[in-house]
Amino acid sequence: MIPRRVVIVGAGPAGMSAALVLAEAGLRPTVLDENPRPGGQIFRQPPEGSAAAQAPPKDATAQHGAELVKRFAAAGARIELMNLTSVWAIFPERRLAIGHREGWQVVAPEQLVLATGAYEYTPPFPGWTLPGVMTPGGAQSLVKTWSVRPGKSAVVAGSGPFLLIVAAQLAAAGVDVRAVVELARQSEFLRQTPRLLSSPGLLFEGAGMLRKLRDAGIPMLWGHVVCAAQGENGALRSVSVAPCNQDGEPERTRARTIEVDTLAIGYGFVPRIELAQLAGCELEFRDDLGGWIPKTNSEGESSVPKVWVVGDGGGVSGSVVAELEGELAGLAIAERLGCLDSATVARRKHPLLARLAKLRRFRLALDTVYRIRPGIARLAAKDTLVCRCEELTCEEADKAVGFGGNDFRTLKVMSRLGMGPCQGRMCWPAMMRRIADRTGHSMEHIGPSRFRPPVRPTTVGDLLQLIPFEDHPEPAGASARGAR
Amino acid sequence: MSASRSPASAEGSRPSTNTSRLASLDRSRAVRFNFDWQELEAAPGETIAVALLAAGVSSLRTTSKKGEPRGLFCNMGVCFDCLVEVDGHANQRACQTIVRAGMQVRTQRGHGYTDVAPELGE
Repeated sequence: MIPRRVVIVGAGPAGMSAALVLAEAGLRPTVLDENPRPGGQIFRQPPEGSAAAQAPPKDATAQHGAELVKRFAAAGARIELMNLTSVWAIFPERRLAIGHREGWQVVAPEQLVLATGAYEYTPPFPGWTLPGVMTPGGAQSLVKTWSVRPGKSAVVAGSGPFLLIVAAQLAAAGVDVRAVVELARQSEFLRQTPRLLSSPGLLFEGAGMLRKLRDAGIPMLWGHVVCAAQGENGALRSVSVAPCNQDGEPERTRARTIEVDTLAIGYGFVPRIELAQLAGCELEFRDDLGGWIPKTNSEGESSVPKVWVVGDGGGVSGSVVAELEGELAGLAIAERLGCLDSATVARRKHPLLARLAKLRRFRLALDTVYRIRPGIARLAAKDTLVCRCEELTCEEADKAVGFGGNDFRTLKVMSRLGMGPCQGRMCWPAMMRRIADRTGHSMEHIGPSRFRPPVRPTTVGDLLQLIPFEDHPEPAGASARGAR
Repeated sequence: MSASRSPASAEGSRPSTNTSRLASLDRSRAVRFNFDWQELEAAPGETIAVALLAAGVSSLRTTSKKGEPRGLFCNMGVCFDCLVEVDGHANQRACQTIVRAGMQVRTQRGHGYTDVAPELGE
């Protein structure tokens, strides 16, 4: 077992900013990340030497991300970065089982920061398992990080401002974007304008994206949903798009067909809470923040002392908030460990809290416009798969719900839902809402999914190799293992 | 859709020369690998999923119960839908696995191993 003072899981905006504060305070934090290079999903870096790596950042967010990654890399000697490293279990007293290509080890930090981020929420609809249907973030990463088009033509659908960014990037990459299909209605968006003006910069950024799409001739369909996708020879051929009511229920008789080979579809994000759950953190359901999240105090400490949760993994609020939250937790931890005095921390905390409060007002307005609507839980047909891993149909899952499978564990035992390799990450966010919709039970009654170690794929062979930790980690920036 | 055992069966999408790369591949730096007994090229540092997509392959496996094709979905390692067989190991996430020279990648059928059984017996 390897002792450490502070371990941060995740090298996205929240994890990087927490690490920078701690490094500056002289603590040499350890940062674990699954990817070859730091940045997280939002600031994911292209492979070294690629064309995309040499291109200048395309917008303000990318510019900011590049600077943050650069600052993080510059702090190299004061931060212990272990990339291509997963945490596959957390045992009592913050003992983390970490694994990578060479084997595994147990690391026990005094303070643990979880900055695990979020993944996209795509509830089931007929045809959603066809190759060519993917998440907006998945499609974005293809063009942004990998310089490969997902297809020739695309519909970008779901809900949230992220769709506008993805549509613009796909179009710029030469993909024929036939439409952006947005669940929210434009009238609601306009109604929230006064509150959105709390962060005028962000509002104008959004308006700019809408203008960009209009200039590119991409139709923006507010108050519409993709209600089905059709395939041919095992690949996506077309999607059905219909107007919907306030609840997100499509008027199928008014559906039109759009021929595309790519559908990028997602209705916002789901916090990755599995490590917080394994650490024993108390959860609460917050629909506005993406579902089940760990309860934290204003500095990010969870119900389990010395376990902190920051960024989207603690409630989806975007990269700007994530970075501030990381900084805040970093300051609190540095103070706790006696590396910063309380006067300095108080002085530095104040502006961060003020900015967070302001951003929350903006976020509240966005959450109202782009809220998850119940109709989305009803898009699946009887034979639509709800659990992609176990190939469980909606009808089969509903039947188990009818027999009392109203929580994750019971439903899993009854139907195998969530028993596959994704461990319920893809199906449960939709299924829990479907259960609520059908039974009227509260989300607190239905509960979150449950994870058991290993929460990352681990082979028996991996478990036979206990790595000599002294040889690891390699210095920050060493990504040779990834290129091998 | 039936899951045929023959290596070059009609899976919807086979490698093609119709590339979807934004910049053409620098052949001198390209990493050569094998997909279903065909030689393909990837850019250095590229994942299997990206290299296959660039070669026009969108279907990566067929499911065990219904034999349905699946491809890249989340592209961040969460959904486990892009599973392929790599050098005889089934259930490898194509979106998380970086191409190495000489890598043997196979479309995964069901839980895998059907086509690599002889290799496992070595």
